[in-house]
Amino acid sequence: MQQQSFEQELELLRERLQEAEEMHRAISHGEVDAFVVGPGGDGRVLLLANAYQRYRQLVERMQQGAVTATPDGQVLFSNQRFADMLGVPIPQLYTAPLESYVGIGDRARLSSFLMLSARNSQIEVELSRRDGTSLPVRISIASFADGYATLLVTDMRPVHWPSLAVDALDSIRSSVEKLNHNLAGSGPAREALRDISEDINRLARMIDEMLDVEAMRGPRSKGNP
Amino acid sequence: MTPSDAASAEKWNLRLYTAGQSPKSLAALANLKRVCEEHLAGRYSIEVVDLLKNPRLAKDDQIVAIPTLVRKLPEPLRRLVGDLSNTERTLVGLQLRPRQ
Repeated sequence: MQQQSFEQELELLRERLQEAEEMHRAISHGEVDAFVVGPGGDGRVLLLANAYQRYRQLVERMQQGAVTATPDGQVLFSNQRFADMLGVPIPQLYTAPLESYVGIGDRARLSSFLMLSARNSQIEVELSRRDGTSLPVRISIASFADGYATLLVTDMRPVHWPSLAVDALDSIRSSVEKLNHNLAGSGPAREALRDISEDINRLARMIDEMLDVEAMRGPRSKGNP
Repeated sequence: MTPSDAASAEKWNLRLYTAGQSPKSLAALANLKRVCEEHLAGRYSIEVVDLLKNPRLAKDDQIVAIPTLVRKLPEPLRRLVGDLSNTERTLVGLQLRPRQ
């Protein structure tokens, strides 16, 4: 009876040793990239550096600004897009107070927002750019952990109108130059005039669409929704 | 009954513990899916447990390193740590192939 018990225990120990050896092999061969640490059911997952790469690339390339800040508003991380929004280099942002990059009228609200930050809350403020202009943005909480808030900053300007309007104006300018160049001949001049006419109509349609978009967007409201 | 014979008759219930979209987690899921389709087609289910979302679930199967595959059924329970990139080792670990 005792012999059988010993054999069972021996088999159990063999299995555990085999599992431990297998885990050691997988770790030393780089087949894992995260670990669970912490006692009992309070485990936390620690990712190895390379496991963050995918998220980091996403954050660096996305078209929204991303900022991680302390509750009192010191910037700990900024992606390139947020730095571009402000027109300042990223290193200048580290440990800088986020408040200093928003309009004076918005500072108290931003401070309060960071202190009371909660998931799904957002505010709209004006960023103060280095060139003296301001940029309307919406700031929302992407995550809140260890006392640090990661913020998503979205440019609130209408997305299309600057580039579309510039393209249309360039096209008109090109048509006018063509008209001047070909005015001597009646045929080409008529074609150029027709181009101008089409461009003007296109511009008019775009303006109509812009006005529709603005009407749908409604007046911009400040403060928490 | 050989491991292959056993595999041909039973329903396989597999649980893969991952850490979000970490490269090794994604590789493990892709490798597991391939092995299952080749050797257990129509007789397996894979449950993916993302420990970044629910780290407390690691306690259930005493998970330490990620990714880890746990064979819940057929019994006995087996654990395979790593991205399952070595197909031969994965098959042996799952007892779909006898140890040499």
